Amino acid sequence: MNEHSITATEEQEKWLADAQNVVKQQSFYMRKALDSSNLREALKYSAQMLVELRTSKLSPQKYYELYMQTFDELRHLEAFFQEESKRGRSNADLYELVQHAGNILPRLYLLITVGSVYIRSKEAPAKDILKDLVEMSRGVQHPIRGLFLRSYLSQISKDKLPDTGSDYEGEGGTIHDAVEFVLQNFTEMNKLWVRMQHQGSAKDKADREKREKERSELRDLVGKNLLVLSQLEGVDLELYKSTVLPRVLEQVVNCKDEIAQGYLMDCIIQVFPDEYHLQTLETLLAACPQLQPKVDIKSTMAGLMERLANYAAANSQVLSVFAEVEAFEKLSTAVATVVEAQVDMPLVSAVSLHVALLNFVLRCHADRLDYVDSVLGSCVKMLAGQGKIREAKSVKAIVALLSEPLAQYGDVVTVLQLGHYGQLMATLEFETNKVMAVLVIQSILKNGTRIGDCARVEALFQLLQELIRDGEDAPPVDQLDQEDFAEEQNLVARLLHVLVNDDPEEQFKILSAARKQFGLGGPRRLVFTLPPLVVESLKLVRRLQARGEVEEGGVTPKKVFQFLHQTVEALANVPAPELAFRLYLLCAEAASDCDLEPIAYEFFTQAFILYEEDIADSKAQVTALQLMTGTLQRTVVFGTENRDTLTHKATGYSAKLLKKPDQCRAVYNCSHLFWQDQEKGTRDGERVLLCLKRALRIANAAQQQANATRGSGGPVTLFVEILNKYLYHFDKGNQQVTTTVLQGLLELISTEVNSESAVQDPATEAFYASTLKHISFQKQKGGEAGDRYEAIKVQ
Amino acid sequence: MSGRKRTLLKVIILGDSGVGKTSLMNQYVNKKFSNQYKATIGADFLTKEVQVDDRLVTMQLWDTAGQERFQSLGVAFYRGADCCVLVYDVNVNKTFDNLDNWREEFLIQASPSDPENFPFVVLGNKVDVDGGNSRVVSEKKAKAWSASKGNIPYFETSAKEDYNVDAAFQIIAKNALKNETEEEIYLPDTIDVNAQRPQKSSGCEC
Repeated sequence: MNEHSITATEEQEKWLADAQNVVKQQSFYMRKALDSSNLREALKYSAQMLVELRTSKLSPQKYYELYMQTFDELRHLEAFFQEESKRGRSNADLYELVQHAGNILPRLYLLITVGSVYIRSKEAPAKDILKDLVEMSRGVQHPIRGLFLRSYLSQISKDKLPDTGSDYEGEGGTIHDAVEFVLQNFTEMNKLWVRMQHQGSAKDKADREKREKERSELRDLVGKNLLVLSQLEGVDLELYKSTVLPRVLEQVVNCKDEIAQGYLMDCIIQVFPDEYHLQTLETLLAACPQLQPKVDIKSTMAGLMERLANYAAANSQVLSVFAEVEAFEKLSTAVATVVEAQVDMPLVSAVSLHVALLNFVLRCHADRLDYVDSVLGSCVKMLAGQGKIREAKSVKAIVALLSEPLAQYGDVVTVLQLGHYGQLMATLEFETNKVMAVLVIQSILKNGTRIGDCARVEALFQLLQELIRDGEDAPPVDQLDQEDFAEEQNLVARLLHVLVNDDPEEQFKILSAARKQFGLGGPRRLVFTLPPLVVESLKLVRRLQARGEVEEGGVTPKKVFQFLHQTVEALANVPAPELAFRLYLLCAEAASDCDLEPIAYEFFTQAFILYEEDIADSKAQVTALQLMTGTLQRTVVFGTENRDTLTHKATGYSAKLLKKPDQCRAVYNCSHLFWQDQEKGTRDGERVLLCLKRALRIANAAQQQANATRGSGGPVTLFVEILNKYLYHFDKGNQQVTTTVLQGLLELISTEVNSESAVQDPATEAFYASTLKHISFQKQKGGEAGDRYEAIKVQ
Repeated sequence: MSGRKRTLLKVIILGDSGVGKTSLMNQYVNKKFSNQYKATIGADFLTKEVQVDDRLVTMQLWDTAGQERFQSLGVAFYRGADCCVLVYDVNVNKTFDNLDNWREEFLIQASPSDPENFPFVVLGNKVDVDGGNSRVVSEKKAKAWSASKGNIPYFETSAKEDYNVDAAFQIIAKNALKNETEEEIYLPDTIDVNAQRPQKSSGCEC
């Protein structure tokens, strides 16, 4: 195949070279004849030169090269005719004379060449000569030869048409003659060009491909006629509207040839000015649905829309004309009509048409959200009944439809006003839909958009459905890539923080809406989405607290706490006990700050229940108790009874931790439960001391256990830590913590440190040394603290 | 060769779509300008008689399609060019960047006998737009590029305002005329040309 094509190329080269040689030869003699003013000889050799154009062997591009060569040579002949004419030879005679050439093709080239001089001489009206030439050209019906011959006619006559304001207007004719001439030449050329398609076998693929390639190469010859029309001064809007466009379109539609139709529509759009298109949109667009089904009408219409958009962008003052002629409405109707008329149009083309229309709107009428929405709506309507779109290119086009408004407005709030946006998004299958949803969130986060309207928030969640819950289309959550899943859910979580409104009522509505949506997400999502919801709700509580009195029926902290209770419970049910535990404590503290004792108590209760039932891991237990103790320590809302119950539980669980050191630490932490700094806080020195003593006992037990099992007492860390707790309470002024108690402890540690079984541990030693230094420092400080520390002896 | 003086100069105008090739030519030849954009299809020429020093020559100015899809027959018309005009829009970077491609493409397709010294002229068009505020290619940059390609003459033009158009085409004509090389002298192999005629193809009689 390849070898064959190389040979074919070489063959073409050879044929061209042969023909060019003959042209050189004959033109040499032609010029010689011209130099000696021998008209007859000149005509003879020029005809022999032109005979070479009768070849059927050359491809259009090679034929073009040969044509260019003869074209250049004919200029010498034309110059000679010009001189002859000046010397007084009648052009009518010359016009007769050249018709003696034996072959029709050379005869017509010569005739056109003389015709050019004839018109210029004005010895006869231009319109008559042109008419004659265009009629005579019918004599050549071979497509390639005919097309080039008529192209020669077109080229030669271009500056001699009786155009408005031209030298040839008046006796030579009018603009109507000029237009008629070009239209006729165009029509004939198009027929020749279309006829090529029907020569040879339609079934032989190679044959058809070769033919279509040739046709494609020849197309500019046909299209150039349209360029000539567009360059005529006299073709004003009126004439274009009444004659030129309808006549051209008639030919385009009636030729029923898909190659011609696609190309010529493109030409019309590209060679005529924007003003004309705007004023004739209806006519132009009406032709579109009439074209052959295989015509790439999408590119044509997209080309038109792009042109008009460029025009509008460069000349803002023409926008009023766009509105006046209802450009958008017409384009929009045309898109719908074409999609409906061309049943076989690939889906991707149909969607791409909408993309083109959307880009037109965004560039010309960015302020018209109703237009944007109507484009999306039209696409939704078209896609109705197709189910999820999966074909890659169509999907890409839909994503473009969805992304463009986001990019244009940079503001999801605006996009949310587009009623059809969500519906269009819903046509995307799971994966792409999700990608789009992520894009939406990223746009919000990137632009710092705040969405504070509950209706908008609900619309937004509608868009984000695939992220928020398991869609029908979605694979089970456990089959998703877990890393991606986490990333997406974190995005949803972040989103919650921009859904804010200064009005607490609206804010609560938003949070409730979010809760409802998140609730559909299933356990895997709740762990990501509910914590930020709790945090935002607590923020709301704080705002409500600051607001004070509320009207009847308004949102109250109580209401929000009920909401929180139910939300955290959902997390507990996931189950996510540790997370729920923390959140319960956060709620408890907030309730305490609001002076809502029963609520705070309930939250603590729930936290304890979780602790008891669901937190089994000993490390998790340690952390949980630390949190519990810390929170309880800061809570002052409780009366004695409730407080006793809770502190009792906390200390009880502390003493029941598995590892002795953990027990010890948890218990000495519990000492804080009985000594609160707050104004209303409990201060029960005795129970503080009880905790500390108990911690000391546990530390002893821990050491004994270590001795028994490992033969060494382990470091004295726990003792030093307990000493520090004592010092803390001593500083706080707890009368139960006396210098005697401290002294005893110091001696105990000193003995332990120096005992043989003690394990060296630099960190503990440093800690111990610092503690001792602290005591000395306090002693030296003098004043009240100095007095208190006076009695303590440090070795 | 014949005593007939060769007075026809062929000039090719190249550049991206929309830089104003047709407008420049129309301004120069017809003294007309239109703001309307009309794409050019294929290649076409206008002629203009012009006085260079004391010679009257005819310039054949070939306007070309900047859009590739309207250049279906190829560029056979490059052959025999005496000068090539490269046009870009001073307001659009890409059109300047593409000058390299246009120049290369021309040299390959036209294959002039002395590519090193083939006369080019560069025109930076549309200097009028927005009072020059929207221009992105500086004169300095364009001049540097032109200089680096063998000292190509450079002009800043506005087809709309008829600024520098005549001056530019005067230089184009002058340089084209300088390029006028001895035309390849053709001598037929034999006096009897008819004996040399190759067999004609057996096509139809048209």
